Parts: sequence; structure tokens; C-alpha cells
Amino acid sequence: MEQPGSSLLEQDVAKLVVHTLKLKIDPATIAPESALFGEGLGLDSIDALELSLAISHTYGYQLKSSDPEIKSIFSSLRALAGAIQKNRTK
Amino acid sequence: MRDAALIGPYLPDDVLAWDRGAPRSAQQFLADVSGLVETLPDRPAVLNLATNRYDFLVGFAAAILRRQVTLLPQNRAPQATRLVAGDYPGSYALTDRDNAIEGLECVSFESGGVDATWTGDIPLVPLNQVVAIAFTSGSTGRPRPNPKTWEALTAVAHATGARLGTKSGDRAVVLATVPHQHMFGLEASVMLPIMHGLVMHAGRPLFPADIRSALGNVAGRWILVTTPLHLRACVAEGLAVPDGGLILSATAPLARRLAEEAERQFQAAVHEIFGFAEAGSIAERRTIDGDRWRLLDGVRVVRDQSSYVVQAGYLPAAVRIPDRVTVDAEGTFIVHGRETDQVNVAGHRVSLGDLNQKLQEIDGVQDGIFFLPDEEADGVTRLMAFVVAPGKSSEDIQRELRTHIDPVFLPRPLVCVPSLPRNATGKLPREAVNDLVRDWLETQGHGA
Repeated sequence: MEQPGSSLLEQDVAKLVVHTLKLKIDPATIAPESALFGEGLGLDSIDALELSLAISHTYGYQLKSSDPEIKSIFSSLRALAGAIQKNRTK
Repeated sequence: MRDAALIGPYLPDDVLAWDRGAPRSAQQFLADVSGLVETLPDRPAVLNLATNRYDFLVGFAAAILRRQVTLLPQNRAPQATRLVAGDYPGSYALTDRDNAIEGLECVSFESGGVDATWTGDIPLVPLNQVVAIAFTSGSTGRPRPNPKTWEALTAVAHATGARLGTKSGDRAVVLATVPHQHMFGLEASVMLPIMHGLVMHAGRPLFPADIRSALGNVAGRWILVTTPLHLRACVAEGLAVPDGGLILSATAPLARRLAEEAERQFQAAVHEIFGFAEAGSIAERRTIDGDRWRLLDGVRVVRDQSSYVVQAGYLPAAVRIPDRVTVDAEGTFIVHGRETDQVNVAGHRVSLGDLNQKLQEIDGVQDGIFFLPDEEADGVTRLMAFVVAPGKSSEDIQRELRTHIDPVFLPRPLVCVPSLPRNATGKLPREAVNDLVRDWLETQGHGA
């Protein structure tokens, strides 16, 4: 079951998140607007580090904490996919 | 009474810290401290929750001069912080950003920015003053206090610096990815630089690109205080760093191949520290040279019945090593693994008994157990939990757990089961738990 209204990139990023973090869930169950960290999927800074590597390898986008939008980038699958779309080099 | 200076060999204008892109000199630091000393409430103990490392240091120093002990909870969860505060009546929290904790009296401050000068002498601190208490997780479920005297912190800083060949006044910048509230972070990223006249970087970079930007501006020598996790990320990203570095890793064993790769890529020696909150740093090794740990000067390891204990002049009593070790005639040792109750997740040590107790105390939970699956070669292995809680969802229990335990220990996944396979004595044999995990993985169709 795909989330209604999720883009192809969002679905790919969901798979990347689940695969990288070895989450025992179906990527299609991640709602694009729900939180990845804290209350949502419950990710933490170690996950952020792991994810940043996978994103860098897959999309050539290097995340930075000094990016003023870093908090919103990690706020949801949709925001993360949006940032990847904007900054990807491959 | 013997005492020792609050900071090491700095001239008044020497840079002591690099904070938010600007230098803070030793005299600005002393002025910042003396400003805060005036405003702290008159209390016996303080929880220093400052997120910025320079703010933390100013708060720590001000508390020391006010004879207040700094409490260092092992755990960032609000309920755990309140639990520690509850054991120290009259304690308050010192915060620097929007990180106040509900139910605790919080004093908020942010240092720096004021161009003050300091004309007095560097303050002295009695060596026997208990300046900090580091908490560890015990199987009893209560945080266990480990008092630290000024002598213990300064002695470890000097011994570590001596071992690494840190020269006072070589002006190295010390950058750390580890939190300063943890024992290794306090010792290596705060005490090590300020006892040797080095430059403490106030930031706490997470991503490799953050480390590159922080080190990119460093002209001279640098020391990166980090963990195997961060180092692995830096190597994987092919991080470019300036020459003249030294890497100091702790919290979990560093794979020799990773150390070799890091040494080659960063042209920097990679050293590891072995320690634990109860005793602080006790030994060092250059990872590429082999598995054996060399004790820091002033530390001895002796056999005590079935285990080994650490002795040092600055420790009030011998401290048991929480890992299984074998020691040779020269006093170097090999670490074989943890004692069974203790697990390490992403560099954070915790007692499974402690976690189980917190889980079982949750309203509606009848039984429950945490479990660390066999570690995988790559990446971080997380805890799992099996819980008997009729009528509750795993989300309900996770939400409750989140307020009691550090996020790094939250189970992935938390599985609700009708019962746990306890044996006649009420114990859960490891094989029974393994079966439970295997059954669960099979029904989920995620055999990996």
C-alpha cells in the first residue's frame, strides 16, 4: 500500500531510510508528512548520521548542521525528499 | 589543603575557546565565569544541561568556584534528569538554549559576547573538592552516583595529555563530537584542553561536513575527540582535513582496519581511550599498534577474586572494571567484552537490568525484557524489547519509555507478546529469548 500522494522520490527515500536504519517496517507505511525523529519514527542523532552517509552516497548531497534549514529538512519524509531534490548532484 | 589552578598555562590573551566563530581569551573566560558566579542561586548542586560546550565550561567553572557540585546524568530523558535532581534536594538546572526541563528549577544563561577583562589571579580549587558526580546505570534501576574530585579530573587530564604528547602551549584546537556531559567528553573535550592551554572548540559537529567546516579554519594542530561511529562516517565520506591532527576515540572499540584507514586518509595518529564513568579514563592505545591497552600513569589494575579493579591515588576506593579483561605482567591488558548485564549501544553503556526495570514499571506492563541482538558487522545494533501488556499498543509503551530512557536505548522494535518464556525459576534463558526473536522475525518476513 503506497501512501496517497507520495512522490516517486519520497518512496525511494522511504526505502533508503528503512534500509539504512534497518527499521523493521514497510517503507510504504511511512506517511510523508509525519515526523521522522522524536515522537514519529523515533529516530535520533545516530540515525541522522547514518542517513546523511546514505544520502550522500545515493544522491551526492552532503548534509550540514550549519544549514539553517537542517531542522525542517529532517522534520518529515516529504521535507527530506524535497531537500534531496533541491541539492542532489546525482 | 592542596589545590590546583582552575585552568592550565594560558597568558591572559591566549585563546581558550573558539565559540560561535569567535575566539574567547583566557581573561574573557575568567570574566565570564566571575559574572556567572555572582548570579547563580545559593544551592548545593547543579545539573549543567548547557548544549554549547563553552557555556557548559563557564557554568562548570562557576559552580566549582561557588562550591556547587555539577551533576552529570547519564541520560538525556527528562524523567531521568528529574530522577537525579530528586536525589539532590535543592539542586537546579543550568540551561543555555531552549532546553529547560519541566518540573525543574532552571537558570538560563548564555555566555560570551561581553568584552570583559579579568585582572585577578587564576582561581585555585582544592584538590579534594567534589566538583562533579557522573551517574551510571545500575541493575537496581536507580542512577548510581560516581563523585569526581578536582584531583581526579586534573590528574586524568595530565596523564592523558602526557600519553598523547600534548605540549602545553602548542595551541592545538580540540574539537569534539561527543557530549561534554559524559565522562569521556568532560575529560577529553573540556579538561584536556583547559589543563594544557589548548583551544576548546565550543561546537559539537555531527555530520562529516560539520567537522570539515570546523577544522577547515584551523591553521595549526588539532585534536578530534570522537567515537568509532563518527570516525566511520568521516572515512566513508572521504573527509578532507588539514594536516597536523590527532584523533582520540572512545566509548566503543575501534576496528583496526578503520583506524588504519583513518590514519592514512587524515594523516593523523588515531589513539583510543579506555575508561568508564566509575573510574574515568584509565588506559590508551594507538589502535594500529595492537589490541593491548597501556595504563595511564598513576593507574594500576589488580586482580580482586574473579574480576579486576582499578586503583589510583585520586580514587577514594578501588573500582571494578565493568568488562572482562586479562592483564599481563607489564600491566597492559586486553578487553574481551562486557559483563553480561551491561550492553553498549552506539557507544552508550547501560545495564539491561536497569532498562528492564524501567520497562516493567510502566503502567499496564505486566512483563517485559530488553534484548541486544547479535551485533552486525556494519552499522549500529539496536535493542529490541518484548513486552506483555494486554490492551496497550507498542506506541503507547514507546511513548512512556521515551520519558524514562535515553533515545539511543529505545527498542527497535518493541514487540507486544502474550507471554514471555520464563522458566520455573522465573528466569529468561538466553536461548528462549533467541527463539522468541527468531519466531518474530519469521512471522514478519524480515529474515535479515
